[in-house]
Amino acid sequence: MCTAEATASLLQVEETFSACLARIDALILKPLLQAEPTDQKGKENLKLFLLLNDQFQALWNLTEENYRILKQKCSTSESFCIQDIYTLKGPNYQIYQLVGCEAWKHHKTVLKQFLTDFTSETSMSLALYTVLHKPIRDHIMQYILLLTKLNEVLKEVGSFYMMLLDWVIAIKEYMKLESFVSQVLDEACFTKSLWKSLGYKFTDMLCVPERRLLEDSKNLPISASTNRSDRILLFDDVLVLIQASLQYGLRIVTPEETFFLSAKDPQMKAVWQWKLNQAVRQALNGKRDFPLWGKTGEGTEPPSCRFFTYVFKLEGKFKSATYEGEWHWGKPHGKGTLKWRDGRNHVGDFKEGLEHGFGICLVPRRSEDRYDCYKCHWYKGKMRGYGICEYGNDMVYKGYFKDNVRQGFGILENCSAEHPFKYTGQWENDKKNGYGVWEDKDRGERYIGTWLDDHKHGQGIVVTQSGVCYQRTFHADKMVGSGILLLEDDYVYEGNFTEDLTFVGKGKLSFANGFILEGTFTNKSGQGLQTHGVLNTSNEQLDDRITKAQLGLKEFPVEKRWKGIYDQFLEFIHSGCKEETEESFMGFHIQTSKELRKSQEYLFCQRYEGTEDVSWRTEDILEELVQHQGLESLPSYLEKALKSSLHPLGKLLKALTIAFQATYSGIGANKHLLTMAQEEIKYYAKKIWEFYQGLLRLALEQKGQLPANDQKACSMVLPLILPCFYPELFMLYMLYHEREDDLYCQGIMDLSLFPDIKLLEFLDVQKHLWPLKDLTLTTNQRRSLIKDKCFLSATECLQKLITTVDPREKLVILQKTYEEIESTVSRVVEKDYKLPMDDLLPLLMYVVSRAKIQHLGAEIHLIRDLMDPTNQGGLYDFLLTALESCYEHIQRMRLHQRETCHVTHSS
Amino acid sequence: MMAIRELKVCLLGDTGVGKSSIVCRFVQDHFDHNISPTIGASFMTKTVPCGNELHKFLIWDTAGQERFHSLAPMYYRGSAAAVIVYDITKQDSFHTLKKWVKELKEHGPENIVMAIAGNKCDLSDIREVPMKDAKEYAESIGAIVVETSAKNAVNIEELFQGISRQIPPLDPHENGNNGAIKLGKQTSQTGGN
Repeated sequence: MCTAEATASLLQVEETFSACLARIDALILKPLLQAEPTDQKGKENLKLFLLLNDQFQALWNLTEENYRILKQKCSTSESFCIQDIYTLKGPNYQIYQLVGCEAWKHHKTVLKQFLTDFTSETSMSLALYTVLHKPIRDHIMQYILLLTKLNEVLKEVGSFYMMLLDWVIAIKEYMKLESFVSQVLDEACFTKSLWKSLGYKFTDMLCVPERRLLEDSKNLPISASTNRSDRILLFDDVLVLIQASLQYGLRIVTPEETFFLSAKDPQMKAVWQWKLNQAVRQALNGKRDFPLWGKTGEGTEPPSCRFFTYVFKLEGKFKSATYEGEWHWGKPHGKGTLKWRDGRNHVGDFKEGLEHGFGICLVPRRSEDRYDCYKCHWYKGKMRGYGICEYGNDMVYKGYFKDNVRQGFGILENCSAEHPFKYTGQWENDKKNGYGVWEDKDRGERYIGTWLDDHKHGQGIVVTQSGVCYQRTFHADKMVGSGILLLEDDYVYEGNFTEDLTFVGKGKLSFANGFILEGTFTNKSGQGLQTHGVLNTSNEQLDDRITKAQLGLKEFPVEKRWKGIYDQFLEFIHSGCKEETEESFMGFHIQTSKELRKSQEYLFCQRYEGTEDVSWRTEDILEELVQHQGLESLPSYLEKALKSSLHPLGKLLKALTIAFQATYSGIGANKHLLTMAQEEIKYYAKKIWEFYQGLLRLALEQKGQLPANDQKACSMVLPLILPCFYPELFMLYMLYHEREDDLYCQGIMDLSLFPDIKLLEFLDVQKHLWPLKDLTLTTNQRRSLIKDKCFLSATECLQKLITTVDPREKLVILQKTYEEIESTVSRVVEKDYKLPMDDLLPLLMYVVSRAKIQHLGAEIHLIRDLMDPTNQGGLYDFLLTALESCYEHIQRMRLHQRETCHVTHSS
Repeated sequence: MMAIRELKVCLLGDTGVGKSSIVCRFVQDHFDHNISPTIGASFMTKTVPCGNELHKFLIWDTAGQERFHSLAPMYYRGSAAAVIVYDITKQDSFHTLKKWVKELKEHGPENIVMAIAGNKCDLSDIREVPMKDAKEYAESIGAIVVETSAKNAVNIEELFQGISRQIPPLDPHENGNNGAIKLGKQTSQTGGN
């Protein structure tokens, strides 16, 4: 085949194609263009058709142009070369590809239009389809054929090797075009058949001319989630999931999977359902029977809550764990036991497949043959709220958890013989963080201060067994900077010192006698303490500001102590006091099994054992709050509530008591902590009152009532809670007033040697007030030697002072003591006698010295610090001052006596 | 309703000068006499109107014996006023009074109102302390001075009225500058305005 021959055949092909296109245009496209579309869909199709027409025209023009150039070449030049043909083909090829692709896509739409418009005339649409796409396919085929032939010829000629390569590429491209066209057509067919098979509901929604179906779950099964009857359609632009209608569907829930079965009609579904239920029932009963079809009613349906055992298989935290217990809707729900292969197990309440509510969980420790035992509240699979953990290494944590870690207030105690300790305080993310008290039982030391990530960090007070205490700044467990060291015998050192209490560097040492040594201290080994400094001896008096220095007041304001306890309560109130949150806040409920009840014995929320007729359910508590808001019944109600560990307020008080004891009992009984303790108790009272009001407000809101704005009863809480803290607090007062009380006691001892009459005389009580009538004598008694007979009723009354805790009650005792004195005097003078202070003070002094109350100083100051501040200046304040002046006077008498002794001795 | 201000008043003076008699006289016939609890004649209260306030005097007696002198600071701490009593028939008691004044100036509460009462003016014929001396002395220390007779109820009311007048009116922004001056209930205060 020569070049001319090839050109001729190309020319011919082009001519035929052009003619064919002209025919299509005239016969099909032109008439279709004139058709007026009526509806919306028609208009859209017309748009597409116009596009098709444009491209068709472009193709036709190109073909014409091509034909013209070819003809020109053919006639003008004999030297027409193959390269020219190629260059001619190049652009053509591009356009063919474009037009071919676009044209066919649009043909589809047009056909679609015909399909929808004239559904009966399928033959016509088929004809159109053939007419439109066949010429182009044929044309491309012919090109490929021609080019292949040419290629062979060129090979034979063996010339223009480079051109040969180009030819090969050109042929390949045309073959690609051929296969592209056929794939486009296949895809279009595939999509078309889908549109046919889907209901109009879906075609309406999904059918867009450009959209092509790539895959269908009917051809290649795949299912979404566990729903096997879903259908998935993958389009070039969207992924469609058609969910099966559940009309006759059965939802099957298994512990780890949920899937749907769908029946063809309701009858079939009913049969399946019945059979499934019977199978489940029989399996649960453990015996086979043959129930009559359709028999319903008692015992024929399996219960929705069941009890059985299942081993989890799927990945997740329950993997390979065995659950034995109650189920509901295919999930562990109710009480059950989970056992893992590694020995871990969880016994407790479950809800919707997760641990929820109270549970006991045993976790084996990695190295030893021991377990960590958690008795906790779980919330949606995680520990939350109050719990106890007995760790395998002999440590015990009692406190609050959140998201499986220790969080909030809690106590960690190491009971093992090795390095026993106890931490009471704030936890954050499983670590000691915030205010907390650490007791090192080996060293006999207690640290009261702030923590950061398990380390002493910030301000801290250390008190020791020996009574020494100091306040320092800590940085990651190390002491930094200078501090104040309060030594035994009222020595005070301010400056830097080491952990074993050796002075280093600059410091100031104040002695108990008022001397002050300021200097630089060194401590070389073997040489003892050395110093260069100045000793100031000008001040020769004990300075209470130094010897009774109070620690921690600035560093630990009461508002910042024990936040974790208050926060828990706040959360409880903010949650609306739900029964559920109440349990994890309060501790555990009664209806748990015997085993669980046993574990309650470790809790600080003992159930109130007793035959009380009071219900402590949350709603009843709130109801009672509303009923007892009046001032008459409030005190007794509050007292009862605070005594009960089942009442939120009682629970709060218990927790505060524990925190208080952890700080101030035992080693913490140090006079330098008195003010801290005293302020803390007052703050407890304030907070408890606040929380009471919070509860009341909530209760009233729930009843739709408005809370009354009443503050007047806030002072009633302190006396109610004081008994819980009294032993520790009174101990602090005793230590604080130790020196004064000692002196006073000596004075009392001296006075106790006096017979009554001598004492009355000694105290300058006016003679006409002496109750000599009260002295009944036996024959061998002499009036002047009688002891402890006068003002006996007043003395005995005053002695009751130590039997009470409430400052108000103590003040009432004081008042009664006065009344006893007055009545005795009135009896003596035989008329109502209003005692002026000139008479009263000596008499009171007589009664105080006879009453012999050991720690009177501690008593007086405790009353003064904790009494209702509105008493100030009033009657009770007066009585207390009178008592205090007696106490002071007795001390001074003793001092005076001692001095005169010295004088007489020295003279 | 008027605001009630509680004023702690401390009685000082030798034993036998009639401290408590003055108070008993002041308090007797008072409408709430039977209601307000007292401690004999040692602690008494009486409420009197003053301007748009009510002054409730909380009157603290002290033992006048010399040996108890050192206990006095416990009684006069927090006082708004001190009534220092002497016997016009006893020069010694006037001497003691001067000691009290000195002590109050040194150790007493700041701004304490001092009132000097020359008691037993019914016995002026055996007077030892001239009126003039007392007046001059009172002036020199800026104190109120009256001669009283508890027996004949002379100048008793006036003595306490004088104290009332010397008490600075309550600054609404300040809760009193010493411990004894206290507001009554907040509600009653606002009600008075």
